[in-house]
Amino acid sequence: MVLPSMSERGGSGEGYRALSMMLAGPIFYGGIGWLLDYWLHTSWLFVLGIIVGVAAGVYLVIARYGRIE
Amino acid sequence: MPGLIGLLIPLEWTACTADTEHEGFAPGVASFCSRPLWDGAPVEINNQLFQAVIGAVLVIGFWLWMAHGHKVVPGKRQFFGELSYNFIRNGIARDMLGHEYRKFLPYLVALFSFILVNNLFGQFFLFMFPTFSKIGYAWALALLTFVVYNGVGIHKHGFVKYLKNNTIPAGVPWWMYPLIIPLEFLSNFIIRPITLGLRLFANLFGGHLVILVFVVGGTLLLTTTEELAGKPIWLLQAAGGFSLIFSFALFALELFVSVMQAYIFTVLTAQYVATALADEH
Repeated sequence: MVLPSMSERGGSGEGYRALSMMLAGPIFYGGIGWLLDYWLHTSWLFVLGIIVGVAAGVYLVIARYGRIE
Repeated sequence: MPGLIGLLIPLEWTACTADTEHEGFAPGVASFCSRPLWDGAPVEINNQLFQAVIGAVLVIGFWLWMAHGHKVVPGKRQFFGELSYNFIRNGIARDMLGHEYRKFLPYLVALFSFILVNNLFGQFFLFMFPTFSKIGYAWALALLTFVVYNGVGIHKHGFVKYLKNNTIPAGVPWWMYPLIIPLEFLSNFIIRPITLGLRLFANLFGGHLVILVFVVGGTLLLTTTEELAGKPIWLLQAAGGFSLIFSFALFALELFVSVMQAYIFTVLTAQYVATALADEH
């Protein structure tokens, strides 16, 4: 079995971590938007929540991994 | 007895639920049902638990056998044992955890070998069923990892500092905190362990289902004796034969997936522990 190099291996773990951050955004803010929609009988807060969530998730990934060390 | 017969006759898992619409062959979720080990056994004592226990016994036996009677000049057995052990020790633990890797090595080695053996059960006679394609088994391991990485994090930093480490990212201005803190919390404590379990389960579930479709469906077509949807019998049988031959390629693919998923689960566990131990990120 060919082993991936050291940096690649750390990379896969970090990649899954970035993925979980990107998922957390839409799940959390989309969920809040969905609940607000449910209570307020509106329909646009869910979409807004997902957009805000994706933006926050992307921001989080950039803040963590975009720094020049 | 039905459980023991199920162990001996691969892929003959018929529906065991009240789902009588899909009787017999059709592969589906019902193909993953367990059956009690003997007539009248409790539901929990089923063939899948049995094979998980066999897996654990094999793993324990393997490492005990590899660990005794070491010599300065290793023989074949010791060489193989050290090779397997070093694969985890150097390849995963030391890379991911740095100088603190020793404490976690037993857990990582046990985790990798247990998952690997149980995954390989999906490709070998007698079992022909990957244990972790039942999601409960995958959740149990993910929960164990969850307890381990949070446990060592809290033990090292104390509860408040650990929570702070894992919810407040560095390099983010303070006015962004309300937006970011829930996401970091969700990401670190809920999504990461959930995806850890789901990844293992879904890979094996999907792989086993595809194999079932090709093997069981291929057998059905090969042994057909009547025309189906206007197709001649010889064509159906040819398709069945091809499907059976092609299933060996899928078995090879599943062999790779089995090793890969055991490896990924161990790497991610090590990485979660490393994150929990890190002073600041």
